[in-house]
Parts: sequence; C-alpha cells; structure tokens
Amino acid sequence: MNQSFYGLLLFIFLVIPPVANFMESVMVIHMHMQMPMLVIAGFLMARFFQKRFPGFFVKWNSNGLPGILLFVIIMVYWMLPRTMDEALTTQTVEAFKFFSLPFLAGVSLRNSWKKLSSLGKNVVIISFTVMFIGLGWLYIWSPVQLCNNYLLIEQVTLGWAFLTTAIGLVIYLGYNFFIDPSAYE
Amino acid sequence: MKMEADLKTGFKDKTNKMLGFYPEDAKISKSYIAVAFIALLVGGFLGLLQGLNRAGLLELPTWFNYYQVLTAHGLLLILVLTAFFTIGYFYAALSHNLGGLLPKVRKFAWSGFVIKLIGFVLAVIPILMNEASVMYTFYPPMAAHPVFYIGLALIVVGVWMCCIGAFIQVANWRKNHKGQHVPILSYFATGVFVLLFFALMFVAVEVLFMIIPWVFGWVETINVMVARTLFWAFGHTLVNIWYLTAVSAWYVVVPKIIGGKRWSDLLTRVVIIALVIMNITGGFHHQIIDPGINEVVKFMHVFMSLAIGFPSLMTAFALFAVFERTARRKGGKGLVGWWKKMPWGDVRFLAPFIAMVAFIPAGAGGIAQSTNQLDQVVHNTMWIVGHFHLTLGMSVVMTFFGISYWLVPYISNRVLTPQINRLGVIQTWIWTIGMIFMSGSMHYVGLLGSPRRTSYSTYGDHATALGWDPYLMLLAVGGTLLIIGVILQVYAVFNMMFFAPKGETEFPIAEEEDNATKTPYLTERWGLWIVIMLIVVAMAYVIPLTEFIVNAPPGSPPFKTW
Ligand code: HEM
Ligand SMILES: [Cu+2]
Repeated sequence: MNQSFYGLLLFIFLVIPPVANFMESVMVIHMHMQMPMLVIAGFLMARFFQKRFPGFFVKWNSNGLPGILLFVIIMVYWMLPRTMDEALTTQTVEAFKFFSLPFLAGVSLRNSWKKLSSLGKNVVIISFTVMFIGLGWLYIWSPVQLCNNYLLIEQVTLGWAFLTTAIGLVIYLGYNFFIDPSAYE
Repeated sequence: MKMEADLKTGFKDKTNKMLGFYPEDAKISKSYIAVAFIALLVGGFLGLLQGLNRAGLLELPTWFNYYQVLTAHGLLLILVLTAFFTIGYFYAALSHNLGGLLPKVRKFAWSGFVIKLIGFVLAVIPILMNEASVMYTFYPPMAAHPVFYIGLALIVVGVWMCCIGAFIQVANWRKNHKGQHVPILSYFATGVFVLLFFALMFVAVEVLFMIIPWVFGWVETINVMVARTLFWAFGHTLVNIWYLTAVSAWYVVVPKIIGGKRWSDLLTRVVIIALVIMNITGGFHHQIIDPGINEVVKFMHVFMSLAIGFPSLMTAFALFAVFERTARRKGGKGLVGWWKKMPWGDVRFLAPFIAMVAFIPAGAGGIAQSTNQLDQVVHNTMWIVGHFHLTLGMSVVMTFFGISYWLVPYISNRVLTPQINRLGVIQTWIWTIGMIFMSGSMHYVGLLGSPRRTSYSTYGDHATALGWDPYLMLLAVGGTLLIIGVILQVYAVFNMMFFAPKGETEFPIAEEEDNATKTPYLTERWGLWIVIMLIVVAMAYVIPLTEFIVNAPPGSPPFKTW
C-alpha cells in the first residue's frame, strides 16, 4: 500500500463526525492537531495527484513559488480566530476547511518544498516563526475573548502552544545554522 | 568499523582482549561504580531498618526517625545508585566504543563527579538533622531546609556535565567517522544522555525558580500543581532512563554472553528513538489521582503511557527470539527443551535473565496502575512500593548486578573467578527470593489498604490494620534476605575491583545477525528526533500547565509537617 492511500485513510478518519467533533471541542487541538493533520493527509495524498497530473504541476508550479504561496495563504487564513469560529457555525466553511487544508495547502506544500532553494525554505520557516510569536502574543495577552466558541482559557492555552511551537522552530533554525550535517555524514 | 570487525573473531580471542581499554577512562568508571555500590550498601541497611519497623519489630529512635531513614533510602537508591551506575557504565562503553575519551570529556566526567558528591553531601546533612524529611519526591508544600535544595541543584549540574561530556565525545567521533553509525552501546548512551539532559531541565526549573525562592522567603507561596508536574516530567523520565540502561545490556551484552547474535540493529535503534521521543510526556501517570487535571487530559496521558508499552513488548519479543535462536543453534530441541542449553550457571546471564522475567509482572502492574479506576485502589498504598521494588529493585538493579560481573573486572584489569561467579549465582537467587517475598507481600498488603510512607502503627489496634501484620512480617523476612544479598553483591564488586587475579576481561558486545538489513542513516539524525521530542512534550504539557497557572488556586506557604 502506498502513502497516498494512508493519506486518504487519515483524511477519512479526521472527517468522521465524532473525531472531528472531539478535536474541535478543544481550541488548541482544533488548530494545532486537526489542522496540521489535515495538511499531512494532503501531503501524503499529493503523490497520487503528482503521478496523475504531472503536466499540471510542471506548468503551474515549476519553481515552487506559486505552490508555497498558496500554502502560506491557506495556512494564514485558518489561523485567524474569525475563520475558526465560522468553521464551527457554518457547514460550508467547515467543508471548505476539510477541502482547503489537505488539497490546497498539503498538496502544494509537497509539490513545492523540494523545489525551493535553501534560502526560500528558511524564509518560509522564519516567517512562520515570526507569525507564531505574534499570534502567541495576541492570544495570550489579548484582554478579550476572540472566538465566540472558545473560552478565554482555551485561547490562552492556544497562545502558549503557538509560543512553544515557535521555540521549537527557533531551535530547529539554530540547529540548521550552527550544525553542518556534511561534517558528520 | 574496525573495533567490531576485530571482535568478530570471537569472545575468547586473546588478540583483541586489550582493544579499547584506556586506563585513564577506566578510573572514571571505577569511581562511579564504587560510589554506586557504597550507596547500595548504606541504602540497603536503611531499607532493612524500614522493613523491620513496618513489621513492628523495631522502634526507630527519635534522632533518626522513620521519615529521615525513608528520605535517605529513596535518595541513595533512586538517585545515587542509579545515576552513578548509569554514568559509570555508559562512560565505559563510550570509551571502549569510540577509541577512548577525549581529555576534555574526562574533565567533564570528573568535575561532574565532584559536583555531584558535594551536592549529595549538602542534601544529606539536613536529612540527618531532621530538617529535610520530605522524601525523594520533595513535594511542596512540604519544605526542607534550603541547603537540601541547593544540594539537589548541584547534583543536577553534575549530571549535566556528564551529558555534555558524552555529547562532545559522540560528536567528535562522528566527525572522524563520517557516514558511519555510532556503535550500538554508544547509541544507547546518546539516547540516555539526551533524555537526562532534557528531563533535568524540568526539575531544574522546579528547584531553582520555584522552590529555592520560596524556601528562602523571597516569594510567599508556591504553585503546588506546577511543581508536582515538573517533578514528574523528570521523575518518570528518570525511570525510563534506568530502563533504557538495562535494556541496552539485554540487547547488546546478554546475546554475546550466551554466544549468540544481536537482534536487528535497525529495530534496536528504533526502540531507542521511540523511547526518547515518547518518554517525558508519560510523567502524568504519576498524577492520575491529582486534582485539577480534567479527565480528557488524563485520558490522553494514559494513552501516552501505554504507548511506551509498545517498544517494551518489542523488546520482550526480540530477546526471547535471540535466546531461542542461540539455544537451537547449540542443539536445543523441542518447544521448551532449548531452555536447557542456556548458561544458567553464569551469573552474567542469570541475573539479567531473571531481571527480564521480573519485568513481565512488573509491566503488568504498571499497566494496571495507569488505569484511573484501578489506581484509585492502590494509590499511595504499599502496592506502589511493591511495584517499584519489582521494576527498579529487580528488573533494573539485577541487570546492573549482572553487568557488574564483567564491567568491574574489565575496568579493573582483573578477571571474574569461578568462585566469584558462584557467589554471584547464589546472590542472584537470594535476591530473587527476597524480592519475591518483599515485593509480593507489599503488593498484597497494599491491596488490603496499608499505606506507604507511614511508619508502623496499628491505628489503635484497628482490626483492618491488625490484618496487615502477617504480610508485613513477610516483608521483613524478604528484607532480611535482601540485606544478605546486598552484602554479597557489594563484597563481590569490591573483590573484583581490588583483589581478584589480574588479567584481561573483554567488553562483551554481540555482533549483528549475518543477514541483517542495513540501518538507514536517518537513525543518526538526533537533531530531528530532539525537535520531534520537544513537539510531543509541548503537545502534552501546554494544556494542563496553562490551566494550572492561569486558573491557579491561591499558592501555598511552606510547611514543616514533621
Ligand atoms: C535491602 C533491600 C531493600 C529493602 C529491605 C527495602 C525496603 C523498603 C521499604 C520497607 C520501603 C518503605 C515503604 C514505605 O514506608 O513507604 C522502601 C521504600 C523505597 N525503596 Fe526500598 N528496599 C530495598 C532496596 C531497594 C532498592 C534496591 C531500591 C532501588 C534501587 C529501593 C528503592 C526504594 C524507593 C525509591 C522507596 C520509596 C521511598 C519513598 O517512598 O519516598 N529499595 N524500601
Ligand atoms: Cu512513570
């Protein structure tokens, strides 16, 4: 069995209503587990699309820039408190979430990442790091409840999750910067 | 790899016996191991005092009461014995595997040694003065004398130095051996030191930023739940560090001693990586009964704890497969007949073997305790004490004993004589029977409700408490056997270290199977595994910690409850 199939299984698992309901019931799990897992599902399924429509990707995403741009746009869109709220209250937005994260973000990430130069990769990671620090700051120190559906404590928890993720990314960047793998491999 | 290629010629080959022996490095391991076994001797006697007290046979004097004894017993055996043994053993492996320790690394190991000893002395003084009867868990709001915590902080720093030394050693070797896999025991060492390094950060934060300001009175209160959580993120990881250390001998050394081959290199490394990534988050199973954690979070953590069962089961499978293959190659027949072909008279095999078998009931008990409803029955009873004397006192410590019968001669340039081997076999059986008595009765009397960490009391001759007495008596019988075991073991170690006949002993490292699959280089990318580990830790701890801090109840001032 190939990874596209595993991606599809993961996707189906995430869509099942009890699973989706559970994950969406906790704000930080909604944003930091369900959404990334949807992206991962798309990332795995991308193999299928790449084999099926090779011409499409060559034509539209030859240097990876359009793809990574689409990825960033989709990710940023779903990090807004407003869109999370809407996904919980409006069916069509929820459907769009389950479509856009795997098929627009996940697939284009897979198709673009290897094509980027190391500078491009670093720019992407650094911008996400900065964004995560900003969002962490927003969610932790915002005096008001930003989402109708989640309590303030959940919002603060999410803020800390953003900050710890950002710390993880900083460590990764530092590791990449200071350690030259070719000295070891 | 040159070293491994040389060893291929066989266990008894004289030409390679001296390979990979560095006297300067052996001194480090010798000192660490000597301290470990002195800790066993002292800690064992304290254990005996506790066992006799619990059976109602011995009243402890007011100037050295039950809780002082218990705190010292816990610290000596859980911290000193295990940490010093682990470091001594893995430093010997690093030296042997990686062409000798760098001078810089030796300095790290020695400074770590001195700093840890100073820290330990500082921690013991207040215990002896009855100013620190807080048990090895030192849960706030119980507060000991500040010097106790300064001692603990120094121990942390000392262990960190050993971690850093090991990292330098491994990184240097890899630079000089591009593209090669770190030899398997050093790979275990890397995993263990990575875990130690990160786990210690949690207690360091607890002790330095929460407890020390609070016992000095710079802040008035402490957040008890946060402190307990930080403690167990470390404490639980420490447990798995012992386990990983014991497992390293099961995977790598025991097959060599029985004349067999090592189980799949790839799977071994996968087990190590899995344990490193998933470990720290298991800490919450020590807080299953704690208030202030909601059920969803507790449920997630049960899942995380049980996930560690998977590599453990893989280990059990791998090892029994190795035994069976080896025994069959030696002509063992039948479904169970191959058992006869195992070297039962060799303590280097017997002790770790019984340790492995003990891990089966020990692991089963652990799974029961991870279950909230079942744990409500046994929480804070003697059952728990029975559980860790089985896991730590048997599975881990008996493996350490088994290791000592070749490691100590190896680092002392002496040999294991048949007499000491026989002594070791006797010691192993005494220890086994003693632990079965002691741990078995602890488990049972715990089910009947006898509390842990409580000196002898009949609770005004209450019928329930009187019903515990027969089991507590068995506990004392087991404890008495164990102290005989302790004396024999410590005698054997110091005999092998200083008095056994001179000679060369080999460091037993088993070869891979002939048709082994090649291990992918990905297993060497520690940077990647550490980042994944940190992400898993964040996933597990962000939700409850935010809850504890943001919705915290009023903090607690320090209390001296004794
Ligand atoms: C001579 C052998 C030993 C005897 C007789 C013995 C006996 C005991 C007893 C009676 C307790 C106290 C139970 C209570 O009141 O809660 C205890 C606690 C403990 N023992 Fe042992 N033990 C022995 C060896 C070991 C070994 C080898 C280890 C670990 C390497 C160990 C680790 C511990 C720990 C960690 C505690 C818990 C301390 C606490 O609750 O704070 N013991 N032991
Ligand atoms: Cu644990």
